[in-house]
Amino acid sequence: MIVVLAVFAVLILYDSQKFIRKKVQARVYALYIFFMAASLAVSLLLAAGRRPSSPSEWIEAIFRMIGVLK
Amino acid sequence: MEKTRISSIQLFMLLSGFLFGSTVILTPAQGAGNDAWLALLLGGACGALLMMVYAAIALLNPSKTLVDILRERLGNVVGNIFAVLYVWYFIHLASLVFRDLGEFICTVTFPETPMVVVIGLFAVVLVYAVNSGVEVMGRLGELLIPVIPLVALIISLSLIEVHDFTAFLPILENGIQPVLKATLSYITFPFGETVAFLMLFPHLNKKENLKKVVFVSAIATTLIGIVIFFRDIFVLGAELMDRATFIPHLTSLLIPGLNVEPLVDINLLIGGGTKISVCIYAAARALSQIAGIDDYRHLTVAISTFCVVLSIWAFDNIIELFSWTEKVWALYSIPFQIAFPLLLLLLSLRKKQSTRMQIKR
Repeated sequence: MIVVLAVFAVLILYDSQKFIRKKVQARVYALYIFFMAASLAVSLLLAAGRRPSSPSEWIEAIFRMIGVLK
Repeated sequence: MEKTRISSIQLFMLLSGFLFGSTVILTPAQGAGNDAWLALLLGGACGALLMMVYAAIALLNPSKTLVDILRERLGNVVGNIFAVLYVWYFIHLASLVFRDLGEFICTVTFPETPMVVVIGLFAVVLVYAVNSGVEVMGRLGELLIPVIPLVALIISLSLIEVHDFTAFLPILENGIQPVLKATLSYITFPFGETVAFLMLFPHLNKKENLKKVVFVSAIATTLIGIVIFFRDIFVLGAELMDRATFIPHLTSLLIPGLNVEPLVDINLLIGGGTKISVCIYAAARALSQIAGIDDYRHLTVAISTFCVVLSIWAFDNIIELFSWTEKVWALYSIPFQIAFPLLLLLLSLRKKQSTRMQIKR
């Protein structure tokens, strides 16, 4: 858990100083925060041993629901 | 639009490296058993046709990326929705290749190392490559991709004395059905995945060579794939091949008095690295175009981090990974690789025809 937080902290600090220096658009921050937050949330759940159902499982479930897969 | 340019040979190398991708460790069309060579032939021919469709779309819309084409043909709102779907598809594809690579390295080479470390370290190198731009990726391809067929040749020649030339017989023992099924899976993995190159084709310096480059890379990859299949089946036999997970790796272990195992790892790192970097580039560039961001490099770290996490999250184990890719991947890929591109081709042709009619009037 601590390792995951440390890795994300390093990545975010490294990128945010670049963003501040280059004065990037707000959209960049929005997309960056979206991807990093999603990654961090899933990583923490995985580290805690509580793997949430994955997009691959959702896709398979959708195919089963519409009858493409049996 | 970025003003970087790549040469025909660089695009050829990138395409070939992308097509080799994970196929250097996983034998595509394995489902057809000893008739897989037929599936490879048929799939190669259809795959080349599919890649020609992508090239035709790029030529009908010169200097435009996939996102530009989608917006222009389908309108801003629908085009952006489709573009977001493609961004997801490229991210998912990159994560699958990451997982293939991680599973292989952690099963074969570094069994004690956690998979996330292997994938994470590889991602750092690839982010550096993607941030360096298309030209650097092209030059890297030019330098590294020729190693892949060279390694395949070294392994094949080393095994020239270990063989059973009748191992692929009888032909069509189980009928044509498994061959057709394997053909579809060979079209979607890896040929259809080159739809990501619609984000790279605008960088080609000589547009007139595009169709030739695409066609030659598809044919070259198919031929090498068939040679590798025959080598593997002559050495291992149909039964062992059916049961093995990483077939080319197992074949390489059988060379008497020589350990060429690291060469298979190198092949995977080159092929897989090319494929992942193209996917990450395509996803970052497409997303930056959708959001109106001037530089795609701002998003590469975030997208790559998400790819790494997704690769670990997606499947519990290697069996789940293989079962999912066998059952779901082809169906899931059909809209992205065949349906949407064909729709774009039709709309582009109609647009071209209507422009011609207007000029005549």
